[in-house]
Amino acid sequence: MTTLSRKCVPFTPFDGDLSKATVAIVTAAGVHLKDQDPFNIADELGDLTFRVIPEDVDSSHLMVTHHHYDHADADSDINVVFPIDVLRDLKEEGFIREIARKHVGYMGYTMQLKAMYEGTAPEIANEIDKGSRADVVVLTGG
Amino acid sequence: MRGVPTVLITVSPEVSAQMRPPRALYPKGFKIGNSLGRPGMRDLQRTVLRDALTLLTQNTRPGEVVTREYAEYGEQYEPPRVKSK
Repeated sequence: MTTLSRKCVPFTPFDGDLSKATVAIVTAAGVHLKDQDPFNIADELGDLTFRVIPEDVDSSHLMVTHHHYDHADADSDINVVFPIDVLRDLKEEGFIREIARKHVGYMGYTMQLKAMYEGTAPEIANEIDKGSRADVVVLTGG
Repeated sequence: MRGVPTVLITVSPEVSAQMRPPRALYPKGFKIGNSLGRPGMRDLQRTVLRDALTLLTQNTRPGEVVTREYAEYGEQYEPPRVKSK
């Protein structure tokens, strides 16, 4: 029997038009810029930090630090977990209007669920809320 | 802080469903590490991302994970199961 979260579903309606929407990506797949600090995979409790990825990032400058899934495919094409170039294609074809100014990568493995839920998650939401101009967020895991 | 609408692309639908995401897409049979498809499959990646975004405009049930099939992905994988207690 699967246990469902008893928290209410944080459903925010979207009553807009995708062709007028600005889209951000938030990924738990451990994605970050090669010149940013990697996530701390040595800590068995996980890493509660996150990295902000700019809109104009060259996808070849991104990498994955995560030891709880096989990221060989993401190493050869980051878009399989962080679809930034795919999002650019959708902008080009007019499916969406704009790419958000900021995106976020974090390492979605933690033994500190409460700290992740009550600390990291709202911090990421705040980061997206201030200055990214995102109307909607696409979330991905590993 | 105002809320921002989200849509999740998950390859662990049972695990994700436990957290009752507002909107979620499970591309059936995609393995962990392949949320959008395989490397270089840009057409498929675009299709999956369009489908995920389109859930924002549809009358989905909050907490439910929507499953879609993508034949072009090729070999399918079994998603991780939630261990029963």
